[in-house]
Amino acid sequence: MAKIVILGAGISGHVAATHLRRKLSKEHEVVVVSPNSNYQWIPSNIWVGIGRMKSEKILFPLAPLYKKKNIEFKQSKAISFFPEGDKNENKPYVLSEYVLGDNKGQQEKITYDYLINATGPKLNFEATEGLIPGENKAYSVCTYTHADHAWEGLKALIEEMKAGKKAKILIGTGHAKSTCQGAAFEYILNVEQELCRHNVRDMAEVTWIANEHKLGDFGMDGMLLSYGGMTMKSSEMVEMIFEDRDIKWIIGAGVNKIEDGLAHYETLEGDYKTESYDFAMLIPAFSGHGFKAYDKNENDITEKLFKGFMLVDADYTPKPYEEWSVKDWPETYQNPTYKNIFAPGIAFAPPHAISKPRKSRNGTDISPAPPRTGMPSGITAKLVADNIIDTIKNGKESLHHKGSMGNMGAACIASAGYGLTKGSGVSITTFPIVPDYEKYPKTQGRQLGKTFGEIGLAGHWLKLALHYAFIYKAKMRPFWWLIPE
Amino acid sequence: MTQRISKYQRFKMMNPVIQFFKFIYLSIKIMLIVAGGHGGTRKVN
Repeated sequence: MAKIVILGAGISGHVAATHLRRKLSKEHEVVVVSPNSNYQWIPSNIWVGIGRMKSEKILFPLAPLYKKKNIEFKQSKAISFFPEGDKNENKPYVLSEYVLGDNKGQQEKITYDYLINATGPKLNFEATEGLIPGENKAYSVCTYTHADHAWEGLKALIEEMKAGKKAKILIGTGHAKSTCQGAAFEYILNVEQELCRHNVRDMAEVTWIANEHKLGDFGMDGMLLSYGGMTMKSSEMVEMIFEDRDIKWIIGAGVNKIEDGLAHYETLEGDYKTESYDFAMLIPAFSGHGFKAYDKNENDITEKLFKGFMLVDADYTPKPYEEWSVKDWPETYQNPTYKNIFAPGIAFAPPHAISKPRKSRNGTDISPAPPRTGMPSGITAKLVADNIIDTIKNGKESLHHKGSMGNMGAACIASAGYGLTKGSGVSITTFPIVPDYEKYPKTQGRQLGKTFGEIGLAGHWLKLALHYAFIYKAKMRPFWWLIPE
Repeated sequence: MTQRISKYQRFKMMNPVIQFFKFIYLSIKIMLIVAGGHGGTRKVN
């Protein structure tokens, strides 16, 4: 009998838990440990943030589902890792603390045979002074509660604009090393369309601010893509969309301080500037959760497990951008020291960025961190679950299932406006996610045809279809496993 | 404001009939790219 503990119940943790439960017999325990009571389909937060979808539509409570499916659920947060146990406990365990109910504040040693760390990122708002969701007129759409607040803020501003106020809207990244530009890109297009719908577009100046060196970098070093029979750079595609929608842009900008209606930033040229706004949505930096790890004698061994995020089978040797290789990226997401610990999704430490690192003239790093969206999070979680299942069934370690982001495709269906007939979406696929300059030297490391972009109403329908399909899948409704990650 | 997308292009982007077929095409194409498999990048000797 094996006990598999999964930390986190986001896309990655939930995918791992559901596949493990489906494929392993009942004698094996599957335990999910998460401080959150709900599952949320994060990609639809964009629509919550413009008031076109209620947050209840993108979430559901985990406890009833897990109870029905024989998955143990502990609503608690991990604090520290003891991969060798301790003087009193022979089995490896995670020390966790309950966050709700009668047990609130109580700590528990949760032992395991296999551990999947799917804790995702910490939304590191503190890294930018004054960037607090809902304060200083700055908002976030990173969680459904943040998105609800963002809509309240935007709605109030729209009412003021209807009364004649001219407004400035600033959307993008809130830190020099932020990632997830795609979410901000979706949000700015959706906000722009909503302003048109409310007949206040001419009252607003909408500006994109990002740490990207070029538009359309998306933390992926940009891409060369097929678009309408042509080959186009992603920077050209985004520039076309922004110009067409009268969206201004500030790029190569590392936001370092937020005050009431003011965003202070440093540019790659080394200038320090300030942009005023009436409403801002800025994506914070992501970081690890600051977990500690201890050996059997309670000596600190954090560096064996974490480098911010969790260490896995990547090549972490520091090297210049020119020497980066697709082979640096992990394939099995297994910790090299403790072979029964895995970290799929956003929880693993990337070997390096994907976009070329850039410093300002003052020496400040201003370039995007590598993004890891829902699709690779789901795929990597499933392959980790499959390897654990094979290992349990075969009685010996099996790492047959592999999935490097350098040999994996991803789709980014970016909403560009909501509405069954008025909506729009920018559908972008990329293969591979991490460019492979050895295989595709002449096309910026990616395969043309498999890396393409499309703009139109169909994109909105696709994103809506994915919303319903993935929530159906997450709820483990009949034949849910037939829907790919 | 610079009109970078022509009226004809916009018509094609927003026409529900054209976009219905585009939706089917994109769904299949994305499925093939994303669900078409993944693997490692390091050769094992």
